[in-house]
Amino acid sequence: MNQKFNKLTVPDLISVGVFTALYFVLVTVATFACALLPGVGNILLPAVAALISGSVYMLLAAKLQKFGGITIMGLVMGLFFFVSGHFVLSFAANIICGVAADLVAAAGKYRSKKLLLASYVVFSYGLTGPILPLWFMKSAYIANLTARGKDAAYIDTLFAPINSGSFVVSILAILICALVGGFFGQKMLKKHFEKAGIVA
Amino acid sequence: MTFRMDPRAKLYLLLLANLMLLFHVGTGAEAAATALCLLLFFLSGKARAGVRLSVLYFGLLAVDLFVVPRVGESVLLNLLSLVSVGVRMMLPCIITGAYAFSTTTVGELTAALRRMHLPESIIIPCAVVVRFFPTVGEDYRHIRAAMALRGIAAGRGALLRHPVQSLEYILMPLLMNSNNVAQDLSAAALTKGIGLPGRHTCMTELRLTAWDFLYPALCTLPLLWKVVTLL
Amino acid sequence: MIEAENASFTYQSAPSPALQDVTLTVQPGECVVLCGRSGCGKTTFTHLLNGLSPEFYPGTLTGRCTAAGLAAGEAAIEAYVPQVGSVFQNPKTQYFNVDTTAELAFPCENAGMEPQAIRRRVDEVVEQFRLGPLMDRSVFKLSGGEKQRVAFAAACMLGPRLLVLDEPTSNLDAAAIAQLHDMIAVMKRQGVTVVLAEHRLAWITDLADRYFFFAAGRLAAQWSAAEFAALPADTLAGYGLRARTLDDCRAGIRAKQSARCPGTPVLTLEGVTLGCDKKHPLRTLPDMSFAAGEIVGLMGRNGIGKSTMARTLCGLLEPVSGKICRNGRPANASERLRSSFLVMQDVNYQLFSDSVREEVLLGAAHPERCDAVLQALGLDGLADRHPMSLSGGQKQRVVVAAAMLSDKPLILLDEPTSGLDLGSMQQVGQLLQEWKAQGKTLLVITHDEELAANWCDRVIRWDDTEGV
Repeated sequence: MNQKFNKLTVPDLISVGVFTALYFVLVTVATFACALLPGVGNILLPAVAALISGSVYMLLAAKLQKFGGITIMGLVMGLFFFVSGHFVLSFAANIICGVAADLVAAAGKYRSKKLLLASYVVFSYGLTGPILPLWFMKSAYIANLTARGKDAAYIDTLFAPINSGSFVVSILAILICALVGGFFGQKMLKKHFEKAGIVA
Repeated sequence: MTFRMDPRAKLYLLLLANLMLLFHVGTGAEAAATALCLLLFFLSGKARAGVRLSVLYFGLLAVDLFVVPRVGESVLLNLLSLVSVGVRMMLPCIITGAYAFSTTTVGELTAALRRMHLPESIIIPCAVVVRFFPTVGEDYRHIRAAMALRGIAAGRGALLRHPVQSLEYILMPLLMNSNNVAQDLSAAALTKGIGLPGRHTCMTELRLTAWDFLYPALCTLPLLWKVVTLL
Repeated sequence: MIEAENASFTYQSAPSPALQDVTLTVQPGECVVLCGRSGCGKTTFTHLLNGLSPEFYPGTLTGRCTAAGLAAGEAAIEAYVPQVGSVFQNPKTQYFNVDTTAELAFPCENAGMEPQAIRRRVDEVVEQFRLGPLMDRSVFKLSGGEKQRVAFAAACMLGPRLLVLDEPTSNLDAAAIAQLHDMIAVMKRQGVTVVLAEHRLAWITDLADRYFFFAAGRLAAQWSAAEFAALPADTLAGYGLRARTLDDCRAGIRAKQSARCPGTPVLTLEGVTLGCDKKHPLRTLPDMSFAAGEIVGLMGRNGIGKSTMARTLCGLLEPVSGKICRNGRPANASERLRSSFLVMQDVNYQLFSDSVREEVLLGAAHPERCDAVLQALGLDGLADRHPMSLSGGQKQRVVVAAAMLSDKPLILLDEPTSGLDLGSMQQVGQLLQEWKAQGKTLLVITHDEELAANWCDRVIRWDDTEGV
């Protein structure tokens, strides 16, 4: 593991920490924003987070320009999700998406705008972790209802739209929001950080 | 003397809470294990948080047991009860997480991560995240104050009326400042030897006591019992 | 201990060298002060001493500069760690840990010391500097002065032979500076070499052995303590250096403390208690009033509530109780917000746009005056630059320009001269005077005794004992 990350310096790692904290805060903000819409809100959480966090991601990628930073960001996100009581699968989702996103960005040498955007989309799917339990809970809830003698056919009609529909909506929403959010992030990067000479 | 649990035991409890959610242990087993976790708050001198979470959990449990069966056929009410049951099912994880978060110092966390032989390249960002959280909140308040002084996005709902512009005005100074902090923090940490090769130690010493094994074992019993009855 | 021979340093992508041909020697156990205007190269020189340049702040070094036997550019930062301790300017950003004890333990942990040995060393240092009451506290609950004391102690944890301090007092009040002074004295008695880059000179005169004066990257002069004390005051001012003694200033401030509100009050406080929420009132203020066309200095120790008062006056916060009136009528928060502007201590929070021109026009009441104001502040050549690419002083002037264009009657400035050299401090002073001439009410929160004594019309000083 050390071998893989040896190109990252201590200041790089500190930057990763700082921007991960920012990202985590934005995700938390998105969580609260979504909590205002009970029920549907949670499903949209990753999409809302992806919409607002693009600039954090793009700035980190532009600052580091080397492999490992995004991976560690995903890993640390996962760790903090897990420790703060989120579902254990979010840990796995974050790490897998983190590594994949890092690879995509590396393919463009962290310079290609299109691949960075794609990388951000991939990374944003790491946020599906916290909402995965919804599907587990739904089956538990249905089991609960069945146990209490509700009609199985009735239950099916009740949950039909939530079942396949919500999943597709959620996945599509992430894609669109991550594209928009990532694009906005790249625009901010050019408008502010490149002009101010903070990143090349 | 309050009870202090080893961070590694807390990690195990978190895992356990997740397993219970994953395998639908059933309401009884879940409630028993959750009660044990809630008890930890009182043992660690966090009675207020303990009371709050207990009320929330057992309140939702009561809703599940006594209200949900009488809900009838209304779609809206069914949705609401789905939410309430859903929140309750997530609560064991959140309760354990809140316990782990509120009772673990950064020193303990770092010590545990080092004991588990995680590389410094993960420990350093973790420590920075914890260090940086309060700064984000403080920065945000400063930025909102500065915006109010300029009459930008002042007043209720202004953020929603100009979402893109507001996002830029909030994020830009936040990111600039974070970037500066990262720079200064790196300089200071480097002069304090963060980059020194060789083993880094921890002033906080972790010692696993008998309780660190006994209590988690106790919490595992409901799950075990469930598994055994299934077989 | 330190030997520099024709040391020159040019930062990466900078057009001209930050340091040129510096040759100097510092003996072990000496306490030397690096002084000079902002941007004269003294901070760059400290980075050569603690190993941060050229490794962390990249650039090209020619000539030689060794500190504690380590040559800049050859030894890694890590080699410097046990030998050289560093304290930086900003108390907020030099902490790696959330609590104070952990921050002290941090260098020892990195060096791989055993837990018991670390605890022993922490106790030793705490004892030595009498930091007991500050231990096991959250860093975020400390005042600026307390933070700098703990940062100083952390720099001493590994028993360094050289201490490098880069403007450690720029955010501190007089009492905190005195405490830091005593900590330096302790280290000096133990034979540790101390290098201090500093604008404020009065507090260190009894400890300093020699002074190095930098100008435009070159070592322009060096004086022994005796020679420095003998320099005529106007020569010193000609070099752009701050005063050697603050006795005159302090007498001036005392005289200004008895002054009363000079005219018809435009802003009055009646029985105001400050606080962020009703449950935790911070402090009750005596009644006071402010007139148009006056500059009032507000002084008092770090963390006493001056910033809370500023936030309350300009409407970012409601007082817990009491009444704030504008022109005799009670004014609520949003009304006060419309009629006042606060220039924050950290102006980075107040910059939103991607060019100086757009920045000052944001929220401006008189956009047509933009060019004139930019010119008056010496910003006309920078109108298209990104505000964040400017120096600290320039950024501050951008915010001041925005404040001028907003044309609000009450202007509050929070520590406008922290970390400024004499020239920049006087510039701020002149600016205050111009504003005053336009009939504005100016409230200046400051620890800078030179600013308060020379540029404020009256001074309100807070004490713990007497409310205000």
